[in-house]
Amino acid sequence: MERNEFRNLLFEEALKQGCEAAETYYASGEAFSCDILEGEVNRYVSSKEGGLNLRVKFEGRDGYAYTESMEDAAGLVQRAIDNARSVESEDAHPMQGRQSYVEIAKRENPLLKMDNAEKIALTKRMETSAKENSPLVQRVSGCMVQTESGIVELHNTLGLEAVRTYSDSACFVGPVVKKGERVKDAYAFRLGADALGVESCAKEAVEKAVLALDAEPCATGVYDIILENIACADLLAAFSSMFSAEEAQKGKSLLAGKEGERIAADCITIMDDPFHPLAPRAFDGEGTPVKCKKVVENGKLNTLLHNCKTALKAGVETTGNASRGSAAGSIGVGPTVFYIQKGEKSFEQLVKELNNGLLITEISGLHAGLNPVSGDFSLMASGRLVENGELSKAVDQITVAGNFLTFMKSVKTVGSDLKATLGMAVLCPSILVGGISVAGKN
Amino acid sequence: MAAMPSEREDKLLKESIIQNALAIAQKTGADFAELFVEDTTTNNISMNDGKVEDASTSRTNGVGVRVLLGTKSAYAYTSGTNEADIYRAAEAAAAGITGVGEGKSAVFTKRSYNVEQKIPFASIGNDERIELLRAGTAACKAVSDEITQVSARYMDKVRRILICNSEGVYVTDERPRTRSFVQAVAMKDGEAQTGYESPGCCGSFEVYRNKIDLEKAGVTAGKTAVTMLHGKECPAGNVPVVIDGGFGGVIFHEACGHSLEATSVGLGNSEFCGKLGQQIASPCVSACDNGAMPGEWGTILVDDEGTEGRNNLLIENGILKGYLIDLLGSRRMGMPVSGNSRRQDYTYAPTSRMTNTFIMEGKDDEEEMLRTMGTGLYAARLGGGSVNPLTGEFNFAVIEGYWVKDGKIYCPVRGAMLIGTGSQILRRIDRVGPRMWMAQGMCGSLSGSVPTNVGQPRIRVTELTVGGKGGAL
Repeated sequence: MERNEFRNLLFEEALKQGCEAAETYYASGEAFSCDILEGEVNRYVSSKEGGLNLRVKFEGRDGYAYTESMEDAAGLVQRAIDNARSVESEDAHPMQGRQSYVEIAKRENPLLKMDNAEKIALTKRMETSAKENSPLVQRVSGCMVQTESGIVELHNTLGLEAVRTYSDSACFVGPVVKKGERVKDAYAFRLGADALGVESCAKEAVEKAVLALDAEPCATGVYDIILENIACADLLAAFSSMFSAEEAQKGKSLLAGKEGERIAADCITIMDDPFHPLAPRAFDGEGTPVKCKKVVENGKLNTLLHNCKTALKAGVETTGNASRGSAAGSIGVGPTVFYIQKGEKSFEQLVKELNNGLLITEISGLHAGLNPVSGDFSLMASGRLVENGELSKAVDQITVAGNFLTFMKSVKTVGSDLKATLGMAVLCPSILVGGISVAGKN
Repeated sequence: MAAMPSEREDKLLKESIIQNALAIAQKTGADFAELFVEDTTTNNISMNDGKVEDASTSRTNGVGVRVLLGTKSAYAYTSGTNEADIYRAAEAAAAGITGVGEGKSAVFTKRSYNVEQKIPFASIGNDERIELLRAGTAACKAVSDEITQVSARYMDKVRRILICNSEGVYVTDERPRTRSFVQAVAMKDGEAQTGYESPGCCGSFEVYRNKIDLEKAGVTAGKTAVTMLHGKECPAGNVPVVIDGGFGGVIFHEACGHSLEATSVGLGNSEFCGKLGQQIASPCVSACDNGAMPGEWGTILVDDEGTEGRNNLLIENGILKGYLIDLLGSRRMGMPVSGNSRRQDYTYAPTSRMTNTFIMEGKDDEEEMLRTMGTGLYAARLGGGSVNPLTGEFNFAVIEGYWVKDGKIYCPVRGAMLIGTGSQILRRIDRVGPRMWMAQGMCGSLSGSVPTNVGQPRIRVTELTVGGKGGAL
């Protein structure tokens, strides 16, 4: 069944079965990715998918049911009502009514206009380029270009109608280098239209991998560090749930009730900017028009992130941060495009300022080695020593440990090299932080 | 647990559509084409502090088409089972291959698998599911007044699968799974610590009567949170480490298991390439991946290419005995498949993955290994971790750890992280206990997130790098 027809049926059926209101969230997309190995296509994926999530309001409570088959409207409504009946929480979650939205400017992205053969040729160029960058490159273990585009639609019986399209592209390369018996790899990526820059991406990855060939653990101790931009963004992304009013109201964020208080160093301003070109949108996961705000301003927490439900409970306005973790899930809270505002100093100036310490370029184990409830982290890391204001020996097989809130208060200087990480729309500049525990060799 | 193939007619997709799609998929010269059809129903309920917060149901269905030509592969998928969409996906997959040949039309030999379901999930209401969460929450809360918050989640899922290919494989499988989580937050003086437990099984609702005890899970979660609240920060350094069974087995999963998958080995991206028959671990270490264990979270009656799950010996007395191999890996490596081809759902092409992977029972005394370790870390419970299979560099988090001084437990320690390389840690295991137990996890890799069990007996590693932010204890 065509989806508009299916939606009308759902709304009719929901109201007939006694729901006060009903809402549909429909997301569909097409994607392409290819991976090149030794000049040949190694992986090739083409997809088209779509699904619809029905949310009903029944006796004041929300229930959800998701399907990828536009059939059996009555059954879907019944499942959503059953789910609403199970809800015991008394926190009301208002549905958004009709809204008007700002126009989001379309960005040019030549990659999205390429056909698959051109994308494959581009990916092959990235592999060749990686190999040409250094004789130490043995092979390229991951060499991928991907594109996706899609549509998100929100409708409800209160008159809400919010529709947006999105598109994205990325390239990713992971060369394997070898010197003597030592084998190492590293990766680099480019997002959006920058993904056309496969040569610079390949060069960056090869340089990182070659440098890592000589890496060894540094001595265990307490160091002043520079956390490089992407690693910093990875850390902020992993702790972003601390800023969610939903987590705070559930007693799972140390930032609960800290609005107006100092939670970070003066040099830290954290933005939530839904209009940032990285992933612009005009409305959030429940159709609220979004806005740009300073979540942390010069170290002071201005606001947590809210959707309609958490805002009502806290007695504030929603901040337009309703999120849909997946089309099939319920409405949560999350950042839009989240970033630490850049400072004045270049990366080179940060290295000079650090003088002696450690540059951390990569942190891993983020899904296990950190706890957004306690703020504690202990992560495997790699990078370089900084000696007398210069980058020196490569370092690997170390851990860095701390608590996110203490860490944010220990930031001394914020760099100007803002960069996005993969996955979530989070960006950071490199930052200089004092007094971090590092485990390496005894 | 019934694992016998039976004659059960499947209605996931009409045979004429299957034949047409396989023909379209092969028209650019593929030597193999495969269809993966899935219709999955999932129920989720979340509870916060004893009150149901959210309940949702989802049905995902779609078709994935894979083609191979030698070691080249292409994959396309579509949601839904609309005939035209399936043919479009078959065209899209075929477009990824350039070869010659007509392809062959398959003569199917049908096999059907289904786990015995005494109380199917479809037969129970949300009330019964919620009752479990309530019991788990209450048991957790009762552990201590310091527990300020308990959240609990319940998930059940039935995946109906059809796998058919140009070689005549036609397999249907029904896979019921359930898992529940209890997470405790303990707070004191502005500090928070957490504990969690998340048992899961392959089976239907009766597993909550005979296999999964959510009250016990709640107590364990609560105790961990409270213990850690009173813990000290873990010192950093290189020390001996004793690691308990259960989720401690993630050490083998990360340090070795991923590096034995054809995904890495077949492309030369593993430190264990070409090491069959060689000593890669200490002689006290034997390990296997057993997909055929009845009712376990990682169990598969049949894998996502239609090969039955089985017990694969990986390491015997320290000697490498086998790899985990899917069809593509088998073509790359010139070795037979091992029944380990898995995928999260129809949106992923399958690849070699683990099932229930564990270090097998040894002979060493559990108390002796603590008593004689000197000063170090006793990692009672581990969290997740990750590994770079190329270099074997792994990391994993200790969620409940104790500092040991002179062979005696001194105090609980927080924030410990273990790092090292796979080949190094396997050689440094000097004790393996006599009692193996497993725990459940979700493992992420190329073909998405799949349910796996990890496990081991209590083991001792002579030296590991322990990360933490504490001073000397």
